[in-house]
Amino acid sequence: MPTVLLIDSLVRSLQVGSLYALMALGLTLTLAVVKLPNFAHAELITLGAYVALVASFWGLNNLLAMLVLCFIVTAAVAVLSYKAVYKPLERRKPSIYTMILASFALGLILRYVLFLLVDRFDFFDKRIKIPLEIWYQSKTMILTNIFFWVVPTSLILIILLSLLLNYTNLGREMRALADNRALARVQGVQVERVYYFTWILAGGLAGVAGALWGIYTSINPLTGWLAILSVFAATVLGGMTSFVGTILGAYVVGLSENFVMQLLNHYLGLDFSFKPAIPFIIIILVLLFRPQGLTGFMDGFRTRAIRRQTNP
Amino acid sequence: MNLLTIDKLTAGYGKLTILHDLSLKVEKGQYLGILGPNGSGKSTLVKSIFGLTDIFSGSIKISGQELVGVATENICKRGLAYVPQRQNIFATMTVRDNLLLAVRHLRRPKAHRALQDAYALFPILAERQQQSAGLMSGGERQMLAIALAWLGKPQIMLLDEPSAGLSPLFVIEIFKLLRRLCESGITLVVVEQNARSLLRWCDYAYVLREGKLAFEGSSSQILADEETVKSYLGVGGTAFSQRIAE
Ligand SMILES: Nc1ncnc2c1ncn2[C@@H]1O[C@H](COP(=O)(O)OP(=O)(O)OP(=O)(O)O)[C@@H](O)[C@H]1O
Ligand SMILES: [Mg+2]
Repeated sequence: MPTVLLIDSLVRSLQVGSLYALMALGLTLTLAVVKLPNFAHAELITLGAYVALVASFWGLNNLLAMLVLCFIVTAAVAVLSYKAVYKPLERRKPSIYTMILASFALGLILRYVLFLLVDRFDFFDKRIKIPLEIWYQSKTMILTNIFFWVVPTSLILIILLSLLLNYTNLGREMRALADNRALARVQGVQVERVYYFTWILAGGLAGVAGALWGIYTSINPLTGWLAILSVFAATVLGGMTSFVGTILGAYVVGLSENFVMQLLNHYLGLDFSFKPAIPFIIIILVLLFRPQGLTGFMDGFRTRAIRRQTNP
Repeated sequence: MNLLTIDKLTAGYGKLTILHDLSLKVEKGQYLGILGPNGSGKSTLVKSIFGLTDIFSGSIKISGQELVGVATENICKRGLAYVPQRQNIFATMTVRDNLLLAVRHLRRPKAHRALQDAYALFPILAERQQQSAGLMSGGERQMLAIALAWLGKPQIMLLDEPSAGLSPLFVIEIFKLLRRLCESGITLVVVEQNARSLLRWCDYAYVLREGKLAFEGSSSQILADEETVKSYLGVGGTAFSQRIAE
């Protein structure tokens, strides 16, 4: 296989994997803390992309300002959807299926509102207006300014989020709620307040990821919905509620969809139209053979290491 | 003076009533035992104090202030702490993060000092700081669970079967620790199935049966009046009365 193609698919894997990680972390956060598999997460991603698009058409071309704007708007929509839909529902002590259906419904409503608006203002398949520049070029690789925005921004946000989760009181409260809700309440964790922060983080990260996605490729009202399957694959691969697992899962999905796909295409002649099936295959394989995902694996190592430490 | 007063409490889960018209009181500084066979409603009683059951009628007062209707997450502010029977630690977090969660309301230096105090009282936790709490032994977990409750600086601690499933050595360790906590001025309410070991340590005990108060008295009274206890517990030769008689 030509080195150019190989390197190009690796670069794409890294780029897409980073975006999946941002999207999946928000999804895992709501899943772990609020205990809701939020299918409307997809529409928050789309919304983020469109906020960036509209802002760029209005002449905003500072990327940082654009990302901050996206974070604020999608975080606000996430908080609103909690206040308007999930919280009133929760008071009726619904089953998880009710909540999943509600999130589906909310997602559909948001999606078709977006369709209407996009149609009305003719924003189908547009790209965010950020001038494309080549920042690095060699015989085998071309890296644009977009690469240098997408990957480091994602990594910085992932690092900030893990610092927040691991080293702040809010982070410990979130993890405590994820781990054992009743005990967290006994310990005085204010559930409502932590939920709001969770929705802000999950929604905001989805918006930023959507904006970066929109910079990297063209967008339409289905953008988030198409990405969310890969994002769910990353979450499932990460063991559903583990943050480290989710990040790893995101890069594995990114690699499978790009690097592995490239290999399959080159050596087995598999058509690229097969790509959307890859996340489904990952989900099914993981659920069949390793429902605990990647983390069980790592916990296993850790347990063994500790056992070795404690009884030498 | 009564610190905690429960008056005609009727509580349960959903439509199911478990506790019927239960009244009891806890004096300041007391080491109180709650005894009773399996399923008699001991856990339901302490859960009710923390708002984790459905309360149908009655009142629960701490220093005269009503607790019924207060959300679970606000009860610890009233000077109560609770060590549940099961799942009483954050198993996926490290021991240190568990403890840091419990002292999160304190400022840095104070939180640090509280942590040092906890390590002094529970030395095993200092050794296990970086370990994931779920990977500890039963006894170590119980120590952590008690430490979590203790770090809230409660006036009164409720412990649900703190010695369940532990080796005899650890059981003694736990009871010694609880005695020390009581001597330091914390009022204790300890639920136990293992009556004999608890009665050796506590001052006064209530015996529950089928969600009702069956008997109450000082530890020595209960130990002496074995016949009464047996008759209240019914079902000749239950594991419970056997354990008392042992
Ligand atoms: N969450 C719940 N929902 C419905 N019923 C429950 C629930 N928890 C306990 N019960 C029922 O309430 C009754 C009393 O249970 P409880 O746990 O209070 O007993 P216990 O005295 O603590 O017993 P043990 O010694 O086994 O801990 C039992 O019949 C039990 O089946
Ligand atoms: Mg019990």
